[in-house]
Amino acid sequence: MDVLGHDRREVFGLKANSHTGLLLFSLVSLILLLSSLYAAEASVFKKARETAMETAAPVLALFAGPIGWVHDRVGDVSDYFRVLEENKALREENAALRQWEDEARSLRAVISALEELDAYNAPPAAKPINAFVIGEANEAYAHSMIVNAGAKDGAEVGFAAVDERGMIGRIVDVAPNASRILLLNDIQSRIPVFVEGSYVEGLLVGRSTSNPTIAITMLANGDRIEPGQRVVTSGAGGVLPRGLTVGVISKLTEKEAIVELSADYARTRLVRIIDYDFPQVDEATPEPVDESVSAPTTEDAAPPLTATAPAAQAAATPPPADPDEGD
Amino acid sequence: MGARAENLARMARAATPTLLGVFGALLLAAPLRLFEGAVATPLLPLVVVYFWSLYSPGHLPAASVFFVGLLQDLLSGGPLGLWPAVYLAVQYVAISQQSYFLGRETHVVWMGFAVAAASVSLILWLFMSLMSATLLPVGGLAYQMLTTIAVYPLFAVVFGNLHRRVIIEV
Repeated sequence: MDVLGHDRREVFGLKANSHTGLLLFSLVSLILLLSSLYAAEASVFKKARETAMETAAPVLALFAGPIGWVHDRVGDVSDYFRVLEENKALREENAALRQWEDEARSLRAVISALEELDAYNAPPAAKPINAFVIGEANEAYAHSMIVNAGAKDGAEVGFAAVDERGMIGRIVDVAPNASRILLLNDIQSRIPVFVEGSYVEGLLVGRSTSNPTIAITMLANGDRIEPGQRVVTSGAGGVLPRGLTVGVISKLTEKEAIVELSADYARTRLVRIIDYDFPQVDEATPEPVDESVSAPTTEDAAPPLTATAPAAQAAATPPPADPDEGD
Repeated sequence: MGARAENLARMARAATPTLLGVFGALLLAAPLRLFEGAVATPLLPLVVVYFWSLYSPGHLPAASVFFVGLLQDLLSGGPLGLWPAVYLAVQYVAISQQSYFLGRETHVVWMGFAVAAASVSLILWLFMSLMSATLLPVGGLAYQMLTTIAVYPLFAVVFGNLHRRVIIEV
């Protein structure tokens, strides 16, 4: 068994070129690196990223098909081994959901009564855009996903993306047929959130670990936060809708509250991008957006995307001219 | 077979390492999630760059290395130029150590790759920490590099056979 390159050293490969090309390209990449640090959002780099994403999207979609197929098969096998505990968990979940159903039915009755009174203006509905995950950054310090919906489908930079469990991130790059979602645990991710139960508003900061944290400042009443409290988007700043499920407080340290995300990035395949228009307060005649949802309904029973937030804190993003918000 | 087809075949063979690098970069952007995300995706372009820089740099010119790294940066959304710089540094080191590694046993070359991967991790960690002004966790990166180092022998055998039988075609 001969060792590669041992006795054929002279015929091995082409003649090695001089180091000039290597040095030249090293120089180019260093310059590129420095300039992209100084102007990370420069239009040239953004355009380059979007073009690359758009070009690679069909190839990635081609990859994603077989990968998804294999995952489904593997999932079937491992489901088979977990069927007992899964059943138990599902039964418990079912019981809990039934209680929620009762509550939802009674609330629906109240809402329809209020609507009949014609004193209730529904907040503008968020229109979902459905998309499949076709790409994912498999690098230690880059947490993003590429989905197969872009500007042509109505996606825009800043829109929130959720899967069936909760919020996964926010759109940062949009190409005509693909867009990149910056995940909540990326080091650059900052999302305004609200902790239910303790009424604390804060910024959810990605830490490049699986669980992002809420930075607690002196003013934020961080001592009221307790493990187990739900974390939802606060809607502060008007970019994201209020009330998207983000996760649960899992641990508290002196300066931070660590949030366990509801989303499981290893399982995210179908994504809904939420087209949210911030309600304009100064408009005199608020028109509720009509329900012409153009997106194909691949999920039959969609989870409620805008869960109603507690009324006591709803003053942050009030729906326009909403008379029963004033308590 | 005409001269033209022969030329075409020769070009395809010469471009194989570059295409493998591009394939690796695409694989890094695909939602592979090996074993439900329990295993990190190996950095295939790093293996490609190290292997061909060592055994036959002529088949993987600096331009190809640059392009593969740039593609990886563009698809991951990170700072542009980071992976080209890293891969070119690996290529430089591999070429400069060529006289030592050529003809050695597989495990010596594997150790060389492990050292290269560890250095790359250190550079990446330092750079990204500097950029984000915090000390980033090392776990994910270390895990990915260890996975890459672990799969290197497998790829070395495949690439070695590919190189011997297809690309140089002695």
